[in-house]
Amino acid sequence: MRGKEGFNNLIMDPGLHVRLAGVGKRFGAGPGVIEEFSLAAAPGEFVSLIGPSGCGKSTLLRLIAGLTPPSAGEISVGGAAPLAGREGVFLIFQDANLLPWRRVAANVELPLMLRGDPAGARHERVRAMLDLVGLPHAAGHYPWQLSGGMRMRVSIARALSVAPRLLLLDEPFGALDEMTRDRLNEDLLAIRERDPFTAFFVTHSVMEAVFLSNRIIVLSANPGRIAREIAVPFSYPRRPELRETPEFLALIAETSHALRSVLPR
Amino acid sequence: MKRATRWLFPLGTGILLLAVWYGAKRLWQIPSFVLPTPGEILAAAWQERRTLVASVLITGRGALLGFVAAVGVGFLLSLVMAFSLRLKQSFYPYILMLQMTPVVILAPIFVLWLGQGLPAIVAVTFMICFFPVVANTTMGFLSADRGWAELFVVCRATRWQEIRYLRIPAAMPYFLTGMKIAGTLAPIGAITGDFLAGTQENGVGGIGFMTIAYFSQLKIPALFATGVTACLLGFLFVGGVSLLHWVLLRRWHDSFIGSRRN
Repeated sequence: MRGKEGFNNLIMDPGLHVRLAGVGKRFGAGPGVIEEFSLAAAPGEFVSLIGPSGCGKSTLLRLIAGLTPPSAGEISVGGAAPLAGREGVFLIFQDANLLPWRRVAANVELPLMLRGDPAGARHERVRAMLDLVGLPHAAGHYPWQLSGGMRMRVSIARALSVAPRLLLLDEPFGALDEMTRDRLNEDLLAIRERDPFTAFFVTHSVMEAVFLSNRIIVLSANPGRIAREIAVPFSYPRRPELRETPEFLALIAETSHALRSVLPR
Repeated sequence: MKRATRWLFPLGTGILLLAVWYGAKRLWQIPSFVLPTPGEILAAAWQERRTLVASVLITGRGALLGFVAAVGVGFLLSLVMAFSLRLKQSFYPYILMLQMTPVVILAPIFVLWLGQGLPAIVAVTFMICFFPVVANTTMGFLSADRGWAELFVVCRATRWQEIRYLRIPAAMPYFLTGMKIAGTLAPIGAITGDFLAGTQENGVGGIGFMTIAYFSQLKIPALFATGVTACLLGFLFVGGVSLLHWVLLRRWHDSFIGSRRN
């Protein structure tokens, strides 16, 4: 499945199924970063991972992306073992991670170019993606000419260009101010309504986790384990006003409490 | 105002230096065969203009050939070493050894092997330009951000795509820095080469050769004039590399956009 076909398959294919069973990861002879980790995400589910630093959140994403192999247990992505560079799986990195020597359009185009899409289809797709993230006029700019929020939008456009079935997001909005972050949260959900994908979202923000997710996984550190799972009952599409409702605030309180209980004192 | 000071300060320094030069000459009554005045040097340069232009062309040719060879070979060798730790470990100590060996020792060996003339001069220039290119470029190839490298893995880029679209652009600033250093060294290398292995035709050789010739003829102002031409040749090289630097990096690299960033 490549290019534009992604759009037509939407209703049939809400995203990839992901399953981790008894997964452990240690680097060299060091202590386990993650131990006995089991988790399943349904196709199209939005799962947030939240927890103290060093709980292995980023490592989990890298395991699912196939960038590093597990030391124990099994991971299945869409029924197969994770494989780095697999079609339909994309990672959004902590900072926007744009190549400074490529203009915005060329950055968005990069994954399509690397997999050999024809130039015409690529350019059309890039234009559509930049429209989608609200940056139709930034195509000719270099990354240094953009604000942090705009750079992150370009990074999202780049990830969406391949019509991902599984998107792994590693604290993508951590460096942004709260207003920009809220806007990008809303836009991310809107994009997902149009073009669904399974998402694993690492964050330090409780508010963000509650607003975006179907489910929040609270992790404890050393080694990383699931401390608590919190289901988020709100239906999609979610409106910005949701953040002001008592139910939303109650869930934030619950998640914050769960998070506090796993923090080392 | 800012624009004016950019020119006024170096100009002022120049005038001051000239004043000291003329003052010292008059104060200690230094004869012109020891220290000619700038005017005498310019006059000698004009008188010897045909010879000097010819010598700059001869030396410039050797410098350019050696420089281009060093940049090309240095770039390719760095690329190879950046992608194989084993090759890097195998080559690097010997590259360092060559760099440690003074060129004045290597030059006679080159003459022994290649004879007097252009090939030996190019070899000397190559030797002196090679290391800065290799050291900087190798560093550049290894300096691509880890996040970028992972992006290319996630996109399942081929090795060649990674080199073409990630490693080479990321190494460009380092490569150009190496080139800049090599650019300042290339004329020095070629003049050293002239000096030790230069040949002449109708009494005209490279800049290094003419230095010896003028010295033995006691044409001291002309001897000083060869210094001026060497200096001009150096500026030509540095200017060329700076132009390349500007063309390749001005749109995105911090060295140009730093002051424009919001």
